[in-house]
Amino acid sequence: MKKFTIVMLILIGVYLALPIFATALYAFSTEWNKTILPEGLTFEWIRTLFQDTRFVEAFGRSVLLSGGAVLLSILFIVPAIFVIVLYFPSFEKWFQASVVMVYAFPGIILSVGLIRFYSGTSLPMILAVLGVYVISVLPYIYQGTRNSLRNVQGRQLMDAAELLGASKIEAFRKVLLPAVYPGLFVAALLSFSVLFGEFVLINLVVGSRFETVQIYLMSKLSTSGHIASAIVFVYIVLMGILTLVMAIVTKKAKGMTRA
Amino acid sequence: MSNVVLKDVHKQYQHTKVLTGIDMNIEDGEFVTLLGPSGCGKSTILRILSGLTDATGGTVMIDGKDMKNTPPKNRKVGMVFQSYALFPNMTVYENVAFGLKMHKKPVNEVAERVGRMLELVGLQEKKGAYPHELSGGQQQRVALARSLVVRPKVLLLDEPLSALDAQIRKHLQVELRTIQRELNMTMILVTHDQEEAMSVSDRIFVMNNGKIAQAGTPSEIYTQPKTEFVANFIGRYNVFSKEQLEKLFGTNIAISAHKYAIRPESIHLQSRVSSYPLRALAGDSVMNGNVIRTTFHAGDKSFTAEQLHHRASAFERGTEYQLFVEPEDVIALS
Ligand SMILES: Nc1ncnc2c1ncn2[C@@H]1O[C@H](COP(=O)(O)OP(=O)(O)O)[C@@H](O)[C@H]1O
Ligand SMILES: [Mg+2]
Repeated sequence: MKKFTIVMLILIGVYLALPIFATALYAFSTEWNKTILPEGLTFEWIRTLFQDTRFVEAFGRSVLLSGGAVLLSILFIVPAIFVIVLYFPSFEKWFQASVVMVYAFPGIILSVGLIRFYSGTSLPMILAVLGVYVISVLPYIYQGTRNSLRNVQGRQLMDAAELLGASKIEAFRKVLLPAVYPGLFVAALLSFSVLFGEFVLINLVVGSRFETVQIYLMSKLSTSGHIASAIVFVYIVLMGILTLVMAIVTKKAKGMTRA
Repeated sequence: MSNVVLKDVHKQYQHTKVLTGIDMNIEDGEFVTLLGPSGCGKSTILRILSGLTDATGGTVMIDGKDMKNTPPKNRKVGMVFQSYALFPNMTVYENVAFGLKMHKKPVNEVAERVGRMLELVGLQEKKGAYPHELSGGQQQRVALARSLVVRPKVLLLDEPLSALDAQIRKHLQVELRTIQRELNMTMILVTHDQEEAMSVSDRIFVMNNGKIAQAGTPSEIYTQPKTEFVANFIGRYNVFSKEQLEKLFGTNIAISAHKYAIRPESIHLQSRVSSYPLRALAGDSVMNGNVIRTTFHAGDKSFTAEQLHHRASAFERGTEYQLFVEPEDVIALS
């Protein structure tokens, strides 16, 4: 029975990993048409990719757009979450309702709505998308911030610091922020990686006028499979690194808050 | 080192009244306990004293000064929390030094005072450790040192020991009392443990339902409970109604009261001239330290009697006994 479980697990693992592995392999292979394994390996595709200014620019745009959205979220939404969770917990239900609403709108409906609403105005559509991005990471930011505030008992830390002579601002900067920083950081990385992979909204609303990595990938799919695989490979490596960083930070933070 | 006065303090959240008319008068250097069941408003009183919560009505005075418009950071009130509330990203040293740094003390003074305080609570070797590397008892000592080092006028302790196991708790109770005497600091301890309250305080305020039920020294509270609630909460008093007691004694009771309390140890076997007699059937006996506690049944009323261990085996289960109570041991409750 136990053997069976292990075999099944391995099979499932292979089933899940095979496409990724094959994609990665394809990104490094010379010819791979008539054979089971590729005929040769090369860095050619990766090099071509990074020499293509279109890709580098698209990558930069993706980072700028996702990073900018996360940054705005942290600047404007996180303080609101702090105040509500610490001092007005009875308002939290409204926050939770808006978190659910973020999930409730499918991207396609959102895009049509955005185009209808903003296309007549002078607001650049990319800014409309940015605004949606800022809001759409709300679930991750909210959960991450609230959970770490609860873990460290944020309100009590604030109270303790104030009774020791700190002002609210000092208590926030010197005590609360460092204590919840790991949770906040992980929430930000998670949000970033979700936004980095977003395709539906940006493609429908802005399309090639603001080419992100996802849109660039889309355009390459029809021209070169090798290049497309290389893009996916780079993307996976980036996500792998982000996940690893999140895991390390989370593990460290767990050790800190364990009483 | 200061006196603390609360006058007719009220607190209400939306529709629930949490405190209804609290009056307290705490002397300079006194160690008082707020004792009461969970939810009766003890923490709320401490939060109002420290300024973390505003009272709905009434006056709080520290050192004769009305605290109405003084924010928490300027009240010079220290607080130790049940869950320690240590700053997780700071070492023991940094935690204790935090308050002094906030008060902009010079570096060498900070080092000296933190060092002395860590010595007082016996944690010099742990000064580089992070809170999560310490045991519960050690964490609470750090919290204590952190509050004490800024020399507050009053130290508030909100169930600081209830998360610790019995042995460490006993030890820290003694230590707390020693430190309090040494610094001659006014301290207000909140607890729901009547033994803890009895063993450490100069004075106890017993609370129930947002009110002070009774205030007095431990022995006053123990020997002269005023209400049924205090009698039940403080000792394992037997509480009777007038009819129950008159039926039990077979005679009229001179003092008229709503309820009466009799301590288990004042029910005995020896008759004296003035004794009230009673007959009751012995039930189970339980040993508790050097005391044996026996449950008795008389009609539909049960009560307990206690004897010292060396007289044990006197009460056999299922046997009826002739017992006696002295009139002065029957305490009238209001
Ligand atoms: N922020 C709050 N909002 C509403 N009710 C509260 C709040 N804080 C405390 N209470 C209520 O006040 C009562 C007293 O609480 P507390 O002072 O913490 O009791 P204790 O410390 O004696 O256990 C409880 O019934 C509690 O539910
Ligand atoms: Mg409490």
